[in-house]
Amino acid sequence: MGGDTPVTTSAVLMSASKHISTKCGEENRAFLNCKREDPNPEKCLAQGQKVTKCVVSLLRDLHETCPKAMDAFTKCMDYYGNEFELCRKEQANFQKACPI
Amino acid sequence: MTEVTLRNQKGMTSVKEMPILQDGPPPGGFPAVRYARRIPNSGPGGAAVFLVSSLVIGFGFYQVGQGNIHRRAVRAEKIAARQAILPLIQAEEDARFVKELKKQLEEEKEVMAHVPGWKVGENVYSSGRWMPPSTGKLTVDLS
Repeated sequence: MGGDTPVTTSAVLMSASKHISTKCGEENRAFLNCKREDPNPEKCLAQGQKVTKCVVSLLRDLHETCPKAMDAFTKCMDYYGNEFELCRKEQANFQKACPI
Repeated sequence: MTEVTLRNQKGMTSVKEMPILQDGPPPGGFPAVRYARRIPNSGPGGAAVFLVSSLVIGFGFYQVGQGNIHRRAVRAEKIAARQAILPLIQAEEDARFVKELKKQLEEEKEVMAHVPGWKVGENVYSSGRWMPPSTGKLTVDLS
């Protein structure tokens, strides 16, 4: 399971949220600016694709670099309903193994 | 008693000669019972009580403030996390929506092919803003 992209459940996304906001921040902002100008989904497909590519590749990289820490953190978040305060230990391990 | 009197024998002749057995006070009387009030005026004064209580209450308020700071940070972390993943989720939904919409427009074109002057996918609103079609057919099938 070392090289797979993890399935993007809410727990996985919330676990990687800090990484996403730093590494894919540019794409996110571009997409949101496009949306603000025109909420029509057909007009922002290009930016949306960039966002999806960036996040999916980021998740794959994270899973390759620190699979155990990421899986532990994701499992904890899944168990506790995405409550950061209840998973501080696993979060610290994850950020030590895969620095932001 | 009557027998003693009549026959001159030893013993009591009348009740008056019975030894007195009474429940009474001990010799010298009972010790005195204190019933007077005795509320001492010693202990901390008003200023000391006020100072100590204000210190305790102040410490309590400080703890409340620290707790509020912590809770605000936790809530901000949650909001930041949701902000970070919102574009991905919206982008995925947009892609799915556009695919569905194209399918709907194809159907509409087929169905209304015989109607002259029908613009497929025409916007029924004239405000210029984009509104999602209200046909109820473009929702995600979660069944």
